[in-house]
Amino acid sequence: MVTLSVDNTRCQGHARCLAFAPEVFDFDDEGYAFVPEDKQIWDELPEDVKQAVANCPERAIVVSESSPS
Amino acid sequence: MMDKIVDPKDFDYHGPALDTVFETYQELRGKCPVGHSEKHGGFWFLTRNEDIFAAEQDPATFAVSPSMLMPAFGTDVPLIPIDIDPPEHTDYRRVLLPLFTPRAVAKLNDGMHETARKLAEAVAEGEVVDASALFARPMPTIIFSRLAGFPEKDWPMFDQWIDDIIYERTDNPERAYKAGSEVMDYFDELLKSREGMPKQDDLIEILTTAEVNGRKLTHDELLSYCYLLFLAGLDTTAWAIRSSLWYLAQNPVAQKQLREDRTLIPAAVEEFLRTLSPVQGMARTCQKDTVVSGQEIKEGDRVVLVFGAGNRDPEAYTDPDEILIDRPNNRHLAFGAGIHRCLGSNLGRQEVVVALEEFLGVVDEFSLAEQDQAWHGVGPLMLKIGG
Repeated sequence: MVTLSVDNTRCQGHARCLAFAPEVFDFDDEGYAFVPEDKQIWDELPEDVKQAVANCPERAIVVSESSPS
Repeated sequence: MMDKIVDPKDFDYHGPALDTVFETYQELRGKCPVGHSEKHGGFWFLTRNEDIFAAEQDPATFAVSPSMLMPAFGTDVPLIPIDIDPPEHTDYRRVLLPLFTPRAVAKLNDGMHETARKLAEAVAEGEVVDASALFARPMPTIIFSRLAGFPEKDWPMFDQWIDDIIYERTDNPERAYKAGSEVMDYFDELLKSREGMPKQDDLIEILTTAEVNGRKLTHDELLSYCYLLFLAGLDTTAWAIRSSLWYLAQNPVAQKQLREDRTLIPAAVEEFLRTLSPVQGMARTCQKDTVVSGQEIKEGDRVVLVFGAGNRDPEAYTDPDEILIDRPNNRHLAFGAGIHRCLGSNLGRQEVVVALEEFLGVVDEFSLAEQDQAWHGVGPLMLKIGG
């Protein structure tokens, strides 16, 4: 299991993640990205999310291993 | 070949130096990833992707004051928000953020398509045409001016001001300053003409009603915003559209691929932005002694983040000088990064994508009508239309 999030201290609103995985990333009114609660936990990250991670100009998308509790 | 070798002390990223700047980057990278140029009063230049990224994440060390523009854009007034450091920067920038989110930009999509299509139709009618004057320049001028609230009757004045301020400033600063003062006067009058007028749906309205720290913006602050938006909104996008067409005119295979499958265009645009970046470098001022890639840089020294070099850094990209329209991992620096990330990047990207969609949809196969046309700038781009 992995947990997906956006580090809001790094995100600057480039919105590249939206271009790759619009079904996973959402944006606030100032254009900063976040991952809605129901999209945070994954067994395996979809390919488009991996691309979003690789293309984020601020390296702000955080993928952390999490063990099921 | 000898005349292509650039001594680091002569390094520049403006004007004719841009003709061979990609070869220059290759050479400098081998000699000195951080070097010192004597141009423009002297500056350190950073060419490594990682160094540029790290500097942008550290605005306390690499501040923008007195200006990230070097040489000046026809004025010594600090431009809001790009020439302002934290903490003031944060609130100044926040005023504009909601206007340039993906959601806000999406609302402009239909208008963008319509404008681009009309302009492309005029290109399609010719045999040999200047696609810069007919398409690449007017499209962003129309789209941004409508968004900003710059009246249509004034648009014909804009290109000359931009040429003088952005493209003449290195060789002819007097001309840049003269145009700069005309642009300031223009916005001074425009802002005054808006006083007491009914509410409008544009950027000027947002700015004139905005509050920063519980107060309205002053007239001078409004002027500074307008001046920056004018230069930032029109020129860079025109360059990006023009340079994309410049590449496609010489690469019929890529042109055909994009024409046949428009879904490939957004990725191709990223690649054009990476390799043919409209903003090749932006300046900072070092706030404390520091070391970058082994090179000491002293407090007070000017430092240029050479985005164009970082975008072709072999440490960051495979075959960095190859333009691959389907490059999968394309984290680039064309819009900068960190707190000064280009505020209009979502708008600019969308404009270039729509421009190519409509151009390729309306205009037959095209090629360069004259060889040796510059890859850079917003000057003429003579295309031969039809096979």
